[in-house]
Amino acid sequence: MDDHLSRATAVGGPVDARKDTMARIRRVFVKSLRLHVREQELPYAEMLEEAAILDSIAVLEFVTAVEREFGISLEPEYLKFDFLRDLSGLASYIDDRIETRDESQ
Amino acid sequence: MKSLPKSDARFAPPAPAVAPLPFLTVDDLFWFLYLYPLRFLAAAVPIGLIHSIGGLFAFRARERREIATRRMLAAKCAGIARDQIPRIAGEFLAKSAIRMLDDLVVSWPSFPRKLRCSGIQGLEHIERARSAGQGAILLTAHMCASRVAKRYLAASGYPILSVRDEISEGDWWGRFGRRNLAPRRLELLRTIIGEAVYIEDRECTLKILGRLRSGGLVGIHYDGSSGTQSRPWSFLGAPRQFSTGIFDLVRLSDCAVVPMLCLGRSSDFRIVFEPMLDIVRAAGREEFIRANLPAFVESIEKQIVDHPEEWEQWMTI
Repeated sequence: MDDHLSRATAVGGPVDARKDTMARIRRVFVKSLRLHVREQELPYAEMLEEAAILDSIAVLEFVTAVEREFGISLEPEYLKFDFLRDLSGLASYIDDRIETRDESQ
Repeated sequence: MKSLPKSDARFAPPAPAVAPLPFLTVDDLFWFLYLYPLRFLAAAVPIGLIHSIGGLFAFRARERREIATRRMLAAKCAGIARDQIPRIAGEFLAKSAIRMLDDLVVSWPSFPRKLRCSGIQGLEHIERARSAGQGAILLTAHMCASRVAKRYLAASGYPILSVRDEISEGDWWGRFGRRNLAPRRLELLRTIIGEAVYIEDRECTLKILGRLRSGGLVGIHYDGSSGTQSRPWSFLGAPRQFSTGIFDLVRLSDCAVVPMLCLGRSSDFRIVFEPMLDIVRAAGREEFIRANLPAFVESIEKQIVDHPEEWEQWMTI
């Protein structure tokens, strides 16, 4: 699966890359919150909202799982619920961070 | 909840008649004095003079002293001689009254000029914790001087984000208090608490993580009963529930944990930072909690046992 993802990123453009990132975020979300739903059918924003109301530690688990998955650390100013709720925006941010990190290496 | 079958509903007891609230109660009067004349007095006169009227707040002193004595005896605190407990209970009441007056002192923007800190020990522990770049949680008990110390530290370049329950509206038994004094009390509390995050806020943990990632300080009273998940542990001789949220924060943020002790009153207080706790990096969540909970509890229990007269929770334990 990971091979497939990296191939897709290499071949496709930025839009494809962001879709892949979004898919990975969804997967991390399902895994970190131990949800029993298919990633494709996941109502991401609603479930994140629900998780935050039930237990704000769940959001923290999710954030740190995303960071581990992508090897980045979210900057303090981006640790906002509304930012995390926007899957597409979060994926773009992560792609930018990865690009910056790779360029600096 | 299961409702009564319709046929049984006629047997349900009638709803009790609600008596109208009185316009004014003794408590309302006390709060009025506290929130208006005394608050203004706290801005105008020296602290020593403010503290001298602490006796005003020793209302229901005998009853409160008896309760505190009973709880201290039941707490089986190692190191507190039984014959000393009545004296300690008396000191506790006096310090509680002073603490209420100190709250008024820190409610004014001029408070940094008025506070007299006699010393800060162990600041190097804070600096070491912050230099690791992951911030630090300050582990504290509800000591009478905690609020004064935190506000002083914030004014001295060490801002602390307090983690706490949402402020309650308070118990008001009179119409005057409910309508006029309750909002004023809320406003006062928000002012004196300073920078805080409320656990009912869905962004609570994100705000804490943000502060820690900036190398900042987060204050947690670990003798409170906040949090949605908890584990029992022995505390002052009896089982007590302790929130597990702090362990998730430490495990996921990798921050340091520094016990902080605050003693005294606004006119003469000191702050002691103890060495960082050794965090056991256990693999799973449950293992992490099991491995670290005893040290966290022991740390605050020692503060209370060493300074029982300074702990403000004897009435609520």
